[in-house]
Amino acid sequence: MIANFLSVAWTVLTDPYLLGMSALGTVLGITMGCLPGISSTMALAILLPVTYAMSPVAAMMFLMAVFSASVYGGSISAILINIPGTPGAIVTQLEGYAMTRKGEASEALTLSLFSSTMGGIVGLIILMLVAPIVASAAMQFRSPEFAMATVFGLTMLAYSTPGSTFRGILSGMIGLLCGMVGFDVVTDVARFDFGTTALQSGIELVPLTVGLFGLAEVLRGLESDARRAVTTPALGTLFPSLTKLRKLWKTVLRGSALGAIIGAIPAAGSAIAVAVSYAQEQRLSKRSAEFGTGVPEGLAGPEAANNACVGGALVPLMTLGIPGDTMTAVLMGALLIHGLRPGPLLFAERPDFVAGVYVALFFALVLTVVFGTFLIRYFVRLMRTPSHVLLLIIALLCVIGSYAIRNNVVDVYLMLAFGVIGYVMTRLEIPVAPLAFGLILGPILEENLRRSLIISDGSWLVFVERPIALTMLLLSVAALSYPLLRRFIDRRAPDEPR
Amino acid sequence: MISRVRLCRRISFSVSAIAAALLLSACGSPQDDVFPSGPITLVVNWPAGGGMDRAGRLVAEYARRHLDVPIAVINVAGSGGAIGIRHVAEADPDGYTVGILGASLVASQYINPNANAVEDIDLIAFLGPDPAALQVRADSGIDSLAEFVTTAQSEPGSIKNGNDAPGGVSHIAATLLERTANIELTLVPYRGYAPTVSAIVSGEVQSATLPVHQLIDQHEAGDVKILGVMAETRHFMAPEVPTFREQGIDLVTGDWRAIYLPNGVPEDRRAFLENLFVATMNDPEFQAAARQQSFFISPMGAADTQRFIADFDEALYPVLLDADLVKARHK
Repeated sequence: MIANFLSVAWTVLTDPYLLGMSALGTVLGITMGCLPGISSTMALAILLPVTYAMSPVAAMMFLMAVFSASVYGGSISAILINIPGTPGAIVTQLEGYAMTRKGEASEALTLSLFSSTMGGIVGLIILMLVAPIVASAAMQFRSPEFAMATVFGLTMLAYSTPGSTFRGILSGMIGLLCGMVGFDVVTDVARFDFGTTALQSGIELVPLTVGLFGLAEVLRGLESDARRAVTTPALGTLFPSLTKLRKLWKTVLRGSALGAIIGAIPAAGSAIAVAVSYAQEQRLSKRSAEFGTGVPEGLAGPEAANNACVGGALVPLMTLGIPGDTMTAVLMGALLIHGLRPGPLLFAERPDFVAGVYVALFFALVLTVVFGTFLIRYFVRLMRTPSHVLLLIIALLCVIGSYAIRNNVVDVYLMLAFGVIGYVMTRLEIPVAPLAFGLILGPILEENLRRSLIISDGSWLVFVERPIALTMLLLSVAALSYPLLRRFIDRRAPDEPR
Repeated sequence: MISRVRLCRRISFSVSAIAAALLLSACGSPQDDVFPSGPITLVVNWPAGGGMDRAGRLVAEYARRHLDVPIAVINVAGSGGAIGIRHVAEADPDGYTVGILGASLVASQYINPNANAVEDIDLIAFLGPDPAALQVRADSGIDSLAEFVTTAQSEPGSIKNGNDAPGGVSHIAATLLERTANIELTLVPYRGYAPTVSAIVSGEVQSATLPVHQLIDQHEAGDVKILGVMAETRHFMAPEVPTFREQGIDLVTGDWRAIYLPNGVPEDRRAFLENLFVATMNDPEFQAAARQQSFFISPMGAADTQRFIADFDEALYPVLLDADLVKARHK
């Protein structure tokens, strides 16, 4: 495999066309990823037709670059304007935007680029070397495991919400309710659709996040009189100092490993990986109370996890032909257009092509560093734009982005509604990120829970009898009961004289 | 504190931007005596990247070769395909909006009160069937359709079958299988084909009623065995697998793909489009490209397509009635 990798890498290096495709994909990926409302999935779907006339390898060079670079691009807008360009960047904004407000935008961006690249490389290495092992581990996951993994994700969510846990859970519950809108997959009954087709296919994640994080931000911006005197950060330190990196390497490695493993679990995806990574860094950090105010660990971990997911998500796609998320589903469509069916046989019949996919991801990572360094300057410059112009552009992009996802005006109305909801929630100091997570995790939980019960003939023991499911259930129970127990233990402790 | 005038000005600024964006999306189609004199829009009622999307884009690419105008493919997804169909059904009947759809049309009209009925649209060409098949895991010990039926009869519900949510094509195939072979399965619903493939590969279910090409690799690798194809003829991707009829069970079902227009397109334009799409599908180069993407192509014109879909409707209605899925309209 290594020999294959090197020979394909050499072919690409000496072929200006292939290298150019990778470069073009990277630039388009970063640009589209950082535009609010254009998710990685959408960037891939929009650019997929461009590859029809290309050779399979060129198409892969281009699409892998779009995929990987758009994941990083999503973090740029999360850090600079508090809008996750892609769902995987939801956590990035918690610390990243806080750092920007402290005037550390440049540091946040370089840290994000560094952690993203490291995460991407770790993801690639795991994809190349441990793919068969990770794939067989992921194969242990069936409906009960998915249900319990989601329960665990929801628990971690409640655990990691900044501020009041109660308000976090409240917001998450609203998200779960939003996730119940539309056709139910088990019985095919439309719920909460108010008799219209508008809501029958559920509340799309993109209009919801664009509204919650995009339009709500515009409304907040309108409220403040100060023309947000954006102090343009100094561009001297485009690479974080060595001492800082030395402090963060464990965080980045942990995030990368988590991201690659969770990314390889079909349907788990980057949103869960970043949530788990963020919660873990907060738990391990000495400054956990300061999370939410711009702590570098809270940015580096999830960023590494987010990009490591790319490599991880390719594991089930390449080895089993099963796309783990919407992005790899579009990639699978691209492969099929070129007459290549990902699956067990692809490894046996086309090892050169499999190596080509690895090489494509590798070049995407390298070029993201090159263009990312260049574009970071460009985007920091963009921040000098007067805030009302920026707000106008964001409002426009919110409308276009929510419309373009499936050419449906209803999504624009949904986006507007969630913009207002997000604004009101922020005024009431209710965190909005759990709402988005609830929307993602709710349907996964419901579907897998109900399916597990169909398979077990209605016995709830199915979650206790299976070791992986049981482990995750116990972890969730422990995480939930820990704060309560701690309060109980504290109360039992003898009163200290004040 | 912000002055009220400035706040109003900013709000009106943003509102006008949003209005401008909405206007952009409301462009009309060209009206001229020569048809077609402007771009034709092909609406795919499922998201980008799926089977229907690939089929639609392939048809658009090859139909383009017979035309002087471009064909733009757009995806209008949602509500199990119903939103995209409504988009075409309610479009101007000027021939500039066409669509591609599948069997979900027939099921949705009974299940979903907001879906269009077959009569609401004008079907003009048939692309081909995508027959369902019955797959079992190799380690289930079941080696033939007869053994499958015997096992399911001796222990009703013991075989767990992976399929779509009720009303989906693989769910219909499983239900028809139960009725025709007089057996009882435990039907486990999944959100589409890919999760169902994953479920049978992981062993969560023992069988599946997916289209042939979904599990062809696992069949060739020996992990999964295709017991039979629910079609009139054998499938070109697995010619060694007999049909259900060859094995004594009269069952022909599965998905299919067809091209349609809104009702009321002028007769000359309708005829032009029917000829265009039938000619495209008879193009040997198109057929070769389609085969490579595992599409079964058997072109038909408007009259045959409508007859085929009426027959399909006839066969499906009792199944849905039986499954208590007829909620929207009755025959």
